[in-house]
Amino acid sequence: MESIADNALMTKVRDGDLDKLGLLFERYKRPLYGFFYGMNRNQEVSEDLVQNTFFRILKYKHLFRGEGDFRTWMFHIARNVSHDHYRKDKIKAKDPIENWQDRLTSFESRATDIEHMEERQMLELAMDKLPADKREILLLSKYQEKKYKEIGDILGCSEGAVKVKVFRALQELKAIYQQLEKMM
Amino acid sequence: MEQARIDELVSKYNEGVADPSEVQQIETLLESGTIELTQLRSLQLLDDRIMKVEAPAASLRMDDQFYTMLAKARKKSTSKSFFSEILDWSWLTPRLAFGAAILVAGFVGGFMFQRQGGTDVTELTGEVQQLKEMMMLSLLEKESATERLRAVSLTSDMDQVSQTVTTALFETLNNDDNVNVRLAALDALTPYSRQAAVREELIRSIEKQESPLVQIALAELMAAIQEKKSLKELQKIIDSDKTPLDAKNRIKESMKVLI
Repeated sequence: MESIADNALMTKVRDGDLDKLGLLFERYKRPLYGFFYGMNRNQEVSEDLVQNTFFRILKYKHLFRGEGDFRTWMFHIARNVSHDHYRKDKIKAKDPIENWQDRLTSFESRATDIEHMEERQMLELAMDKLPADKREILLLSKYQEKKYKEIGDILGCSEGAVKVKVFRALQELKAIYQQLEKMM
Repeated sequence: MEQARIDELVSKYNEGVADPSEVQQIETLLESGTIELTQLRSLQLLDDRIMKVEAPAASLRMDDQFYTMLAKARKKSTSKSFFSEILDWSWLTPRLAFGAAILVAGFVGGFMFQRQGGTDVTELTGEVQQLKEMMMLSLLEKESATERLRAVSLTSDMDQVSQTVTTALFETLNNDDNVNVRLAALDALTPYSRQAAVREELIRSIEKQESPLVQIALAELMAAIQEKKSLKELQKIIDSDKTPLDAKNRIKESMKVLI
């Protein structure tokens, strides 16, 4: 139902009623921010990326056809914004899995810091250690409310392929989490 | 694959004893939709925890950035759409024909009813104006900054605003939480800055502003309307330690025009 309302609002934005974008911003600023923050753990950068996403929504509003789900379209743009940001600034989003063990070595020296780490913080740390593409699929799954078909639309793959990607990401996350647990 | 084998695979996975080839089979089953991720309990537990982790709240800067962008886009689109509409003849031709027809009908109607005078129309215009004002005042009370921005923008449709409206706009300019709404209120007040009372109130507003953006906008407006009486208040902003250097420089530029 909300999706219909979203599409109706975005159609109005496309047709020139720009104020309606404010309503969509209020509705989606938190999940978008959560998605970006999950990717980079940087408040300021995440806020800027939310802004860039809405800037692009405004810039490419004429491309919104109103057929699909607005949220899916928005996350598609958000994902491009995130990729462009890292490409432009030549920032490596996060190390690939091959390198995370090296980082754990230095992390071990801070073992005392994590002794009292809460479960939640440990999960966040494990998420940070995931390769960017796996972290992204888990965040999309979270903020797209597990609508795997829509996530498939964003990523350009089938619903089944998304489920396998989520499965692999969760498996790897579990392995990292268990490693961290052992270190505590 | 038989259901018994599928159940066995899932159960082995949940117990953590599935070998790599069995994990591979689980992937195939997931892909085909034969089993769901929710059946893989240990992973589901982890997924549930991910769902519960919340990102820290974003700062107000994010809202400010967005509404500044939106206000700029609105301004740009208003002027652009005006010109593009004028130049679009395919769109314009049928409307011109319709307009001409209405004009002729208007002349005929006017001729027939000329004795009634224009009082009805004046009354109606007044009522519409009042309605717009009421709508604006009620929207200004809304919590959402978008609604308040909408309220302020309504004044651009009004030929002449009443004192109630200018008072409400000043109230917004001086007290609204959102800097973009304050900037929009200042924009809305600009056409009325020829009125002495509005000018004086604008000068009084300078000292009430803490946002450098609004301070700069006010200084620029003062320069544009050549309001020399504002120099004292602008100097106070320059002297304040709270004012960022960039803002001081911009305000100084506006003051140079006034001196």
